[in-house]
Amino acid sequence: MKLERTKTRVVGVDISGERTTFAVVDIRGNIIAEDYISTYDYADVNEFVAALAEKIVMLVEANGGYETIRSVGVSAPSASFKLGSIVNAANLPWKGVIPLAAMLRDRLGLAVAVANDAHISALGEKTYGCAHGMKDFIVINIGVGLGSCFFSDGHEHLGDEGYAGEIGHTCVVPVDGRLCGCGKHGCLEAYTAAKGIVKTAEQLMAESDAPSLMRQMEKLSPRTIKECCDQGDEMAIEVYRRVGYMLGIGLANYASVVNPEAIVFTGGISKAGKWLFDPTRQAFEDNVFRNMQGKVKMLVSEFNDRERDVLGASALAWVVPEYSLFK
Amino acid sequence: MNNTSIKTRVVGVDVSVDNTTYAIVDVRGNILVKESFPTFDYPDISNFITKLSENIMMLAEANGGYDKIRSIGISVPSANYLTGSIENAGNLPWKGIIPLAAMLRDRMGLAVAVANDAHTTALGEKVFGSAHGKRDFIVVSLGHGGIGSCFFSNGEPHLGTNGFAGEIGHTCVVENGRQCTCGSRGCLEAYSSARGLKQNAEELLAATDVPSLLRDGGELTPERITECCEQGDAIAIEAMRLAGSILGHSLANYATVINPEAVIMTGSMIKAGKWLLDPMVKTFEESVFQNIRDRVKLLVSILDNNDRDVLGASALAWDVPEYSLFK
Repeated sequence: MKLERTKTRVVGVDISGERTTFAVVDIRGNIIAEDYISTYDYADVNEFVAALAEKIVMLVEANGGYETIRSVGVSAPSASFKLGSIVNAANLPWKGVIPLAAMLRDRLGLAVAVANDAHISALGEKTYGCAHGMKDFIVINIGVGLGSCFFSDGHEHLGDEGYAGEIGHTCVVPVDGRLCGCGKHGCLEAYTAAKGIVKTAEQLMAESDAPSLMRQMEKLSPRTIKECCDQGDEMAIEVYRRVGYMLGIGLANYASVVNPEAIVFTGGISKAGKWLFDPTRQAFEDNVFRNMQGKVKMLVSEFNDRERDVLGASALAWVVPEYSLFK
Repeated sequence: MNNTSIKTRVVGVDVSVDNTTYAIVDVRGNILVKESFPTFDYPDISNFITKLSENIMMLAEANGGYDKIRSIGISVPSANYLTGSIENAGNLPWKGIIPLAAMLRDRMGLAVAVANDAHTTALGEKVFGSAHGKRDFIVVSLGHGGIGSCFFSNGEPHLGTNGFAGEIGHTCVVENGRQCTCGSRGCLEAYSSARGLKQNAEELLAATDVPSLLRDGGELTPERITECCEQGDAIAIEAMRLAGSILGHSLANYATVINPEAVIMTGSMIKAGKWLLDPMVKTFEESVFQNIRDRVKLLVSILDNNDRDVLGASALAWDVPEYSLFK
């Protein structure tokens, strides 16, 4: 037996519809090196895994060597940590149940853990971000969709089958609600995620003749609507006021059952600033269980774009027991 | 070395607005003996503690000896497991913050654990009832006081950062809805608790001339309304349907974020049977996140209503480390 060297680095992988980013990250969350491939270039998932593995090895070899890496963590939409698989992802080229953790481990000879982006965001915030030191908190991911993951006494709550946190698919408008991508009507996501925000803007523009900078926008998006708010456009401000109101009530109900220390917002739409957060906070305080009024912190993730995708995935890599084909 | 030093019995105490019940319970959940006295006979908390501790000691001495008791668990509305205190109970004679666990331990010389009724009920279900063997589940209590809940995450009760978790009764189910006693509007309790059911019936009776057995001037209790449902009374059936349907919608949103293996219904209102539970199941199915719809079990507690409260409190007693003044 001999004294071994501690492995201080892992690989964090973030798979999204557009690109798959992978990075070498150390214990402190420093990103040593990163690269990416285009997810949609690979219609066959086997080819994708082969290409990803090859490029990971290349990155690692050019930055310290393969023996310095402990394990790999992967963030993917619709992934289940318990199953180690992607399950029926709507926005990826491959359908059905994909045993990604096993596939990647076979290629790389390293332990691999897989989880969905909401779970990963929460883990990232706990390990390296706003939620460090907290034991009960909720991380809300608002972007294309509305997802969440909450921690209970220091551990992520995954639910019986790993599907927990689907706040976006709670029904907030039971009668005549908007159709959601999941097939139901009235889902919170259909009002507060990217498409929902744009739809509310379109509705407001149709409902009245009042002038608005939004009418001149070539392409309406949450970001451009926010820019109109910054310029004092009243209709744009009303868009975010309505979105914030609904989000606030949905989050108040969530907090009433979970009793979190804080709610951390991440995802593209968390950049909307006070236009979204003031009405959200107001509706939240008006509707949350009274003992919690004024007690729940609302925070916005401080990770920059580069960090956000891979830091949480790297944190996941530390969770899985070490495995090496070469022992 | 022998086993005589292992204690196989605990005391479970249930404090409710009507009675304070205390029982000696063994490790299998056999209730060996049980007594009670009216809670409101002791509006001074010191006198209450004196009465309770004296009675427990006498009961124990008459049934095998006080030295056989390991510890004590108490279920009290508005109690907080984390602080061991009753906190601003609305319906009990004693106001403010009462450090009940410490006060009782000082009197009795044994470890005391305190928790609220929702938490205790869920623990009872896990140890002795419908949640045995489950790790992620929700227990909903539909009692006289209101609607409470407690969910388990990976085998442990989720208490939240302040110990307030589970307040499903005070989630907003109707925007700008009925005034609730908690101060907010549109709470679930205002529509689906005993109080809410009564208001459903009153509003229906006022809104129409349809004849109804409920117009006889009697009190609109859940029991009376159930009886009238059995006799085909349209207003009674609709009042129940409304309560059940709104409850089902709320529980669907709850299950969507928690992803429990099961939702277990307990409490006196479940005696209303199919009149309440059929509409609840129907709306639940329609509203819940589709990926989990057929995978969540909706169950009714198998525990006897009379035993449930002290059984749960007895389970609580086992969690607290043993302490004895006499060692």
